Amino acid sequence: MASTAIEVSNLRKKFGDLEALRGISFAVRAGEIYGLLGPNGAGKSTTIGVLCGLVKPDAGTARLNGLDVVQSAVEARRSLGVVPQEVALYTELSARDNLTFFGRLYGLGGADLSKRVDDALALVSLSERSKEPIERYSGGMLRRLNIAAGVLHKPSVILLDEPTVGLDPQTRASILDLVRSIAAGGAAVVYTTHYLDEAERLCQRVGIIDHGAILAEGTLAELRRAAGEREIVALRGTFRPDRVPAAFARAEDAQIIKANEEELLLSLGSGGAERQLSSLLALATEVGEIREVAVKQPSLENLFIKLTGRELRE
Amino acid sequence: MRDAIVIAGHHLRRIVRTPGLILILMAIPLTIAGIEYAAFGGAAAEGKLPPIKVLILDEDKTFVSSAVPQIFAGGPMKDFFEVATVLNLPAARRMFQRGDASAVVRVPKGFQDALLEGKDVALDLYKNPTQTFSPDIVESVLEMMATIANGLYARAKEPIARIKALADADQEPATADIAAISVGFYLAGRSLGRLDGLDDLSVEVERQGGEKSEGPMRGPNPSEFFGTIFPGLVIFALLFISQALAFRLLRDRMRGLQRRLAITPASHGSILAGGILYLVAGLLVLLVVLGLIGSLVFRIELREPLALLVLGLGLVAFAAGLQLAIVAVARNDRGAGAVSSIIVMVMSVLGGTFVPAEQYPPFLKSVAISLPNGAAQQGLVDVLVHKQGLLDLGPSVLTVWLWALAALVAATWIERRRLVR
Repeated sequence: MASTAIEVSNLRKKFGDLEALRGISFAVRAGEIYGLLGPNGAGKSTTIGVLCGLVKPDAGTARLNGLDVVQSAVEARRSLGVVPQEVALYTELSARDNLTFFGRLYGLGGADLSKRVDDALALVSLSERSKEPIERYSGGMLRRLNIAAGVLHKPSVILLDEPTVGLDPQTRASILDLVRSIAAGGAAVVYTTHYLDEAERLCQRVGIIDHGAILAEGTLAELRRAAGEREIVALRGTFRPDRVPAAFARAEDAQIIKANEEELLLSLGSGGAERQLSSLLALATEVGEIREVAVKQPSLENLFIKLTGRELRE
Repeated sequence: MRDAIVIAGHHLRRIVRTPGLILILMAIPLTIAGIEYAAFGGAAAEGKLPPIKVLILDEDKTFVSSAVPQIFAGGPMKDFFEVATVLNLPAARRMFQRGDASAVVRVPKGFQDALLEGKDVALDLYKNPTQTFSPDIVESVLEMMATIANGLYARAKEPIARIKALADADQEPATADIAAISVGFYLAGRSLGRLDGLDDLSVEVERQGGEKSEGPMRGPNPSEFFGTIFPGLVIFALLFISQALAFRLLRDRMRGLQRRLAITPASHGSILAGGILYLVAGLLVLLVVLGLIGSLVFRIELREPLALLVLGLGLVAFAAGLQLAIVAVARNDRGAGAVSSIIVMVMSVLGGTFVPAEQYPPFLKSVAISLPNGAAQQGLVDVLVHKQGLLDLGPSVLTVWLWALAALVAATWIERRRLVR
């Protein structure tokens, strides 16, 4: 069994009154892609910040290859590669100059650095345009170079913070392939995203994070089982939430996940939506006015909604 | 240290790739000094400023009125003024329009008689409205001479009365009369104070640090002229260049590049040191370039290189610390730009960039030389113009370096707090 590369234990962090991390724990093995799935403000970036040594935790520990990120910050960072969400590169320089600079900061030099730069450029398919200023690059090319700068030194731990935000589907797919190939080389990868499909396509294990806590964690199969193969019916309109429990007590196997003046979220057993949709709509009209109906099949998204009461895009 | 050098070298290379703004800012002192050079032209290069042309309109045409041009054409003033006669005011105005003269002094008819009779009399001064400084200089000199003449007149009533008596009697003065009149004027002059002989009028200029130079007034040579004005302009430009260089780091931070640096194995201390080193090295190189250009174009003698280096290094260290501190607390470059520009402008005005601090009243002068830019400027002028060495620059060097250390400590403290939350 592969060794544990990342160990996060009971991390806590407060910014003023805001409790950004409330006891986060997880572990990632070498060669594994671990998805950290949550909406904006859930605590993903703060967790990444702690692992990078940029955020000092109030409590708990984080270790990279056994090195504490606070006590042995510089040593821990030697084995760490980070791909930030924003394209953090020097636009007036060429791709080669950018990579050479970052390589030097990882202690590389001479022929070794030159070879690593060549390899990294080849990995992200930018060898042919490596000498021109990157301000001429497209968004997708910049994202790929952003990844190359993070993996140039062949780190054993790689953190990718939403690397596909704002990209077209084709570029996203190429980046996901790139991440898979990096993990296949033996690196432990933490991949934060709020795209469920990416987590489903890419990650062996996923941690669902919200309000600074991991609500559920496991392999995709485990999480689907946790979702109970249940369907979600989402109703949007104008409702009286105080009347909802009494009204839906008459429905068969329907659990209320969320009820407010604008939205009703109901969980139903497998096939329940097809059997009960008309009766559910009738009950909903008793407590308000419906403008939109959506049925979500069993998926990670359903689990997320079930756990957090909200959709990821929120 | 290796990482700091790598980071500093990286930032410096970026400047070389995109030097546009820096070159524009470097052109500020060269342009302003060049304008002054062009204004004074070759005369400045020859060692004296071009003379101010004064016209005399003598409507009295007497012995006394014929002495009026000597105010500007004789004694210590002859190097600064060129005197010509003019027949009437319209002719003077035409010369004004052509820029051929700065002022006209009209000696009214009856000037000599009024003087001899002890009545009030005035010289009329007409200033060329198209010029600014030169007519004011003429006015100042005329007022100064009028003050001296009035003092002499008050003490020379007896010889003047004797002259008037001779004139009224239409009588040629006897040897005894001449002797008595001469003695009377001599004694009047003696009683006026130390003005024992107007022909020997000398001006005493007290320099910073207590050195006094005494001697006849003379025009400044170009090295001294530009050695006086150029340091202030260079410091002014350098403060804005430091702003431009530091703002690159701010924009890096806004684009996530500083975060990216902070997650490499380079320690946060190295990243900070790299930023400081980049600014100090970059500014020092630019300062040297500006100095060399000043030497080549404006004939400024770059003497005492050690003193210049100590002052220059202190100045760029201060500029680096100041701008890094501003950048560390700023949220964006717009806010930082406003704060930095206000600080630089206020410092420049108070520090004597635009008006030499030597001209300030005592309190403002003490403010000027207690500011880092003012102290550096004074120190540079003392080296370049007053020929002082490093050992003579104690107060200036101490002031500049205290400010530099304070700014660097502040910048480091703020930045370290910001790097790790």
